[in-house]
Amino acid sequence: MVRIRTSLVIVLLLLTVVIGGCAENANSTATTPKDSVQNEQQQATQGMQKNLSSTSNTSQEKMVLTVYHATKDALYLVPEQHVVPANEQPAQTAMEILAAGTKNANLVSVMPVGTKLRHISIKNNIAYVDFNEKLIKNNTGGSAAERLLVAAIINTLTEFHDVEKVRIMVDGKNIDTISGHMDLSEPLSRSEKIIKK
Amino acid sequence: MHRIVVSFLVLMVFMAPQICKAAVLTGSTNLNGIKAVSSTNAELSNMRWLVHKDGVEGTSKLRLVIDTTGPVKVNGVLSEKTGQLIIDVKDASLGKMKSTAALDGDIADKVTFIKKDTTNSQVIVDLSNMIDDSDYNIFTLKSDVANNKSFRVVIDINKPVPKMIYNFTPGLKDKVIVIDAGHGGSDPGAIGPNKTQEKRITLSISQKVKALLEKAGAKVIMTRQTDVDVYGPNASAVEELSARTKIANNNKADVFVSLHINAFSNSSVGGISTYYYQKTGYDAMLARNIQNNIDDIGGFEDRGINSAGFYVIKRTQMPAVLLELGFISNPEEEKLMNMPQVQQQMGQGIVKGLENFFAQAAKKGGGS
Repeated sequence: MVRIRTSLVIVLLLLTVVIGGCAENANSTATTPKDSVQNEQQQATQGMQKNLSSTSNTSQEKMVLTVYHATKDALYLVPEQHVVPANEQPAQTAMEILAAGTKNANLVSVMPVGTKLRHISIKNNIAYVDFNEKLIKNNTGGSAAERLLVAAIINTLTEFHDVEKVRIMVDGKNIDTISGHMDLSEPLSRSEKIIKK
Repeated sequence: MHRIVVSFLVLMVFMAPQICKAAVLTGSTNLNGIKAVSSTNAELSNMRWLVHKDGVEGTSKLRLVIDTTGPVKVNGVLSEKTGQLIIDVKDASLGKMKSTAALDGDIADKVTFIKKDTTNSQVIVDLSNMIDDSDYNIFTLKSDVANNKSFRVVIDINKPVPKMIYNFTPGLKDKVIVIDAGHGGSDPGAIGPNKTQEKRITLSISQKVKALLEKAGAKVIMTRQTDVDVYGPNASAVEELSARTKIANNNKADVFVSLHINAFSNSSVGGISTYYYQKTGYDAMLARNIQNNIDDIGGFEDRGINSAGFYVIKRTQMPAVLLELGFISNPEEEKLMNMPQVQQQMGQGIVKGLENFFAQAAKKGGGS
């Protein structure tokens, strides 16, 4: 009888775990960043850029972040996925991973040397991303590099469901161009064409 | 008794994923306020929109998303007469949808939802400017529970290229052509491994283009003739760029040609490319004609033509191109672009391309 009771307790405990797990899943669905209009086509393939709930232990929760680097011929961007411990600032972490460059020998990092993220905030689905002056000072000066750099920043940030447009800033001020080619005077959206198919 | 409990336990563990899935399904369904999909008609439940401004190309697209409570069929047709895009939504009633909503006012002015009959509805988009069949795309998406999304109708409308009437004539004689030597003065542009400055090369080639064009009878306006900032030495980047586009716009130039030299961190990358921003209906044609005549210069690869949201080609009012005449970061190309005969060859290619452009544009534009 004692045994049966123990087993029943185990069953009850298990049920609690199962239901508890469900409730948690339901919650994470509800707190998923707001629906974004531009990501309508992507959603089928990626439930991306949000926390992956680990099944057994919440303390080891991970998140998958996608950043973009250039092909060696300077024509396209390629997504690169990183699985990192989950935190409260996934957009900031994604920018830091982008700035750190790539270990993939077939890709080229587009961020100018020494570029550091100063601040990032998201308001009305627009990400305001602020870098130090190295973003301008240390860029190679070519339009090929500028085009890829701008697209890598925008495409990395628009992976997040609540980011539809990106405004690039340097030292706390809006900038209109990086090296005198791209027109950055307004918030810009993602570019699909520049991603290598 | 003990065995029964164990079996139940095993069963529970086995069932857990299914139970969980069901719970999540219910949760998200309730969150959305979506009715269970049954044999009854679907309803339109919500509408949202966004103007997508492509980060690379600078082109605009209006995206309208309508949530529906179940699967629907859509079919769109353009009405030239009323300037509307009319979309029939089969198997969906209006539901609690507001009858009309204002849109961006640039691509489309408003959207109206109309009850066609008890089971079908219609979505009417009032366009700000008439579009072509190739400018819109309508599709449906299935519900996506994991991302908390219902069934959807998506309507994409591109910002149309204005139908400008040009009366281009063939030949270079009397054409007003603005040549913009990239960078200059306090801004050296990109710098090569052997210290070549982009601003020097762009000016040198520009002067060769000017001489060749003037010989052919064209009126050439240079944004700069020497190594100076066009706006002024302490200007902001955007003041400098707008000073160049103003020269072209104020002089009512026929075409605008900006000369640049490319650079990239990988020094093995090389080649010549031409960028355009399709704003007049002639920009891609101009790019194609010029690139075709500079893509076979010895030692340089052909990187083709590309659309880009570059400031000077976006904000000039006439057909415009930005040429990238090789990579200064590539040591071989850096050497070549310093050679006067290579610069002359580039100049000749650009002039031949302009001549071909005016010939082709004259045929298209109806001029004589």
